[in-house]
Amino acid sequence: MKKSSLLQGTLDLVLLRILELGPNHGWGIANRLQQMSKDSLKTSQGSLYPALHRLEMRGDVRSQMTASDNNRRARMYTITAAGRKRLYKETETWAAFALSMARVLGTNE
Amino acid sequence: MITRSIAFVRGLLRRRAIDDEIAEELRDHLEREIEMHVSRGVSPDEARRRAIRDLGGLTQTIEATRAVRATWFDGLGRDARYAARVLRRSPLFTATALALLVLGIGATTAILSVAYAVLVRPLPFPNADRLVFITEKDGAGVAWPNFEDWRLRAKSFDGLAGSLADAVLMTTRDVPRRFESRSVTSNFFRVLGVVALRGRLFDASDARPDATPTAVVSHAFWLRELGGNTAAIGQTIPFNGKSFHVIGVLPPSFRFMTPAEVYLLIEPQVAADYRGMQSRTTHTTFYVVGRLKAGVSVTGARTEMQTLQTALAGDSTSAKDVGIQLVTLADRIVGDMAATLTVLAGAVALLLLITCANLAALLLNRNAARAHEFTIRAAIGGNRWQLIRQLLVEHAMLIAAGAALGTVAGAFILHGLVGAAPRDLPRLDEIRLDFTVMSGITAVSCACAFMFGVVPTLRTFGGTGAGLATRSGRGTRSRSSLRTALMIGEIALATVLLSGSGLMIQTMRRLSRVDPGFDPHNLKTVMFSLQGAAWPDARKEVFYRSVVERLRAVPGVEDAAITYSLPMLGSNWWNVFMTQGTTAEYWTSVGEFPNAGMVPVTAGYFEMLRIPLLKGRYFNRSDTPTSLPVAIMSSSAARKYWPNEDPIGKQVRQGYPNDPYGPWRTIVGVVGDIKQNGIDQEMPRQVFLPIVQQPRTTVFAIARLRAPVPGSSIEAAIHDLDRTIPVFNDRTIDQVMTEASSRRRVAMLVLSVFGGVALFLAAIGLYGVVAQSVADRHHEIGVRMALGATSRQVVRLFLRHGLVVIAIGVPAGLLGATVAVRSLASLVYGITVTDPATLGAVALVLVAVTAVASFLPSRSAARTDPLTILRAE
Repeated sequence: MKKSSLLQGTLDLVLLRILELGPNHGWGIANRLQQMSKDSLKTSQGSLYPALHRLEMRGDVRSQMTASDNNRRARMYTITAAGRKRLYKETETWAAFALSMARVLGTNE
Repeated sequence: MITRSIAFVRGLLRRRAIDDEIAEELRDHLEREIEMHVSRGVSPDEARRRAIRDLGGLTQTIEATRAVRATWFDGLGRDARYAARVLRRSPLFTATALALLVLGIGATTAILSVAYAVLVRPLPFPNADRLVFITEKDGAGVAWPNFEDWRLRAKSFDGLAGSLADAVLMTTRDVPRRFESRSVTSNFFRVLGVVALRGRLFDASDARPDATPTAVVSHAFWLRELGGNTAAIGQTIPFNGKSFHVIGVLPPSFRFMTPAEVYLLIEPQVAADYRGMQSRTTHTTFYVVGRLKAGVSVTGARTEMQTLQTALAGDSTSAKDVGIQLVTLADRIVGDMAATLTVLAGAVALLLLITCANLAALLLNRNAARAHEFTIRAAIGGNRWQLIRQLLVEHAMLIAAGAALGTVAGAFILHGLVGAAPRDLPRLDEIRLDFTVMSGITAVSCACAFMFGVVPTLRTFGGTGAGLATRSGRGTRSRSSLRTALMIGEIALATVLLSGSGLMIQTMRRLSRVDPGFDPHNLKTVMFSLQGAAWPDARKEVFYRSVVERLRAVPGVEDAAITYSLPMLGSNWWNVFMTQGTTAEYWTSVGEFPNAGMVPVTAGYFEMLRIPLLKGRYFNRSDTPTSLPVAIMSSSAARKYWPNEDPIGKQVRQGYPNDPYGPWRTIVGVVGDIKQNGIDQEMPRQVFLPIVQQPRTTVFAIARLRAPVPGSSIEAAIHDLDRTIPVFNDRTIDQVMTEASSRRRVAMLVLSVFGGVALFLAAIGLYGVVAQSVADRHHEIGVRMALGATSRQVVRLFLRHGLVVIAIGVPAGLLGATVAVRSLASLVYGITVTDPATLGAVALVLVAVTAVASFLPSRSAARTDPLTILRAE
């Protein structure tokens, strides 16, 4: 199966979904995305980090610099209540949209 | 929301730190990637290579991430930097715009600050709008018995108090010193709502006949004379040879009408019949102030007082000329200064409008010149909002700089204004550079810059890339008609200002030509006072004569005399009098008793002032305290009361028939009228008395100078006779006249300077508009001339544009002027505010100047060589 880049605007939704599972740092999120999509979805760091920071500015996630091993600090992202709410709402919208698309394109019997 | 704001604030405060954090975050990502590769058996070097490859451009990622955080604040900083660069690159534009803003904001702030402090800000008393000021008919002081009746009967007031401006001698040292004082009723401070800074103020018990004499002093007096010491309260100070207990100190902000340093109670003075105050016919400068009861209007109180006063007149046959004046205290204090300030504020508001119009024209021109830049920015994807923001930032920076410099300029102008202000400008000490005023003016400038800088640019910009090639597209025309409209407005406003200026110049010219009835030049005057028990009338009379002799002996003094009322400064004593042979009933039927200014003078007064003798004789040395009581009438008094008779030999006596004052006096002479009350006033009726027959305590010594004489040598001449005499108010009659005309002069100066600036700005503006239209139609001129148009026709083409602007602007301005100059009514002298000659001259000047301003660029159009233009295409 070919790796597809994420549809415009869906990255936020994906990130929120991953963070709903638990706090994570950027690399963890990227890895998780690959795992969850069984390697079929991949995002570049160039869009991952701006997206994470944008979510923070919007208040959907919050972040904290935490110490990790080897004397490094990593930024841990945690989903907020507002983020959760948005995730549920947009998941519904997405599901409805996907269903309609499937119906229109005839891939769903 | 809170998270978001915190993140935002953090973004503002810790930009550097955030950059570092982002870098750190990405480094962590990189390390983890490498570790992952290594754990899968890749060599460390290869792992690092792969990780870096996968991560993509590190710098771009940092940039993009930061862009998310920085949002509009960073953009603003970028715009500001860009704007600063743009402004620096066009110094002429920046300097012109700044000069306009500094002029507009500075001048307006200063003058409106004065107007605000004097006219708008409430007086420094609690509920000051409830305070009213009451005088008798024609603003005369209130007779004490009337005041007592008012206090008993008037129902409109929570309190009625009164005060009399006076002076006291402090006799602590061997040379007594004189202080301005105010004699007040015991409830005076309570009615005003003033609270003592230290000690207490007067109450009713202080006014009891057996009470210890008490005094209240000003803050300045307390600091200077009593060392600012609280222990000074309770001390005794000798005033006018009598001991007073200092009971309290007034707050530093306290000021009521004329400044005073010592406050004494008036009740004991009235009890001693000071200045004849027990009489109902004596009108000193005792004025009444009242605090209105809740719910009582000024009009209501006025009606009640009128009725009351008429009823009082019915009670006592002596009070026939009844009537009162009741105005708010603020109106009284500001007085006719309100008119002057309104004119100045109006003038400066017009100037602000003109500078705004110029700023607008300037911005229009500039943004038109930059249309190319904007179009390119649009074409390469700059959006409308960014352009608006860019222009806003640019204009905001200009205005911020202009406002800052303008405030500094305003402070300087204000300092100059306060220094040059007429000394009688009320509330002078309350004037500050006003923040409210300044913010308002800056807001007006901002709005103007936005309206004319940003909005028209956007309209032509249209949000599309179209117009890149057509640099003289449709936008030019709409901008040029906006500019034309601005110019018409500017010329109209300049016309209004210059009309005011013209009227004031005419006024000053007419005033300088008025004949005052005497020779007012080279006259020096001082006041001196013979107060206290040491000066019985007999001794005063001798002293006056000695002073005159001494002064005549001073080198440089040609002649000298003494008077109770200084010419140009008004009458200090106005009284009714009876003429022999007419009854009280006769005058009652006429409706008014004879009245005039009573002026005790020394012999030689008329000769010294060069007042012509019309009939009879002047006073001379044969008039003594014991000789026949005599009087001299001014010509207007003689004409009014003896229209068909020779007044010489007739007799007059001061006071009402049942309440006379002094002896019957025989009229021995008639002299010419003089401008006693000021050069712009009517010549009042006057009755002159020999001062030896009617001694006064505080008088003016006047010396006519042959050569300049310092005030100190006049003072020394008096002190040679008695060094304990207080001598004060050294000045010349010329100074008195200059001071009296200072309001007019200030109005004339401000209107002329502003008018000149306005005319200049309008001329420059018009020049710019015509020049711009010549530049815009360059190509057209070439074609027309190539097709055979003469240069005269080309000139006419553009001149017409300028002339249309003038033809609309000047009449519109004149129309506006006829309305606006009404506020000058109280300042204009000798002409009407719509004086056709003056307004005509102003219109001519405007037409001439603006016509030249539009002719010059038109002529340059005709000078162009059609071949050069066409070849350039």
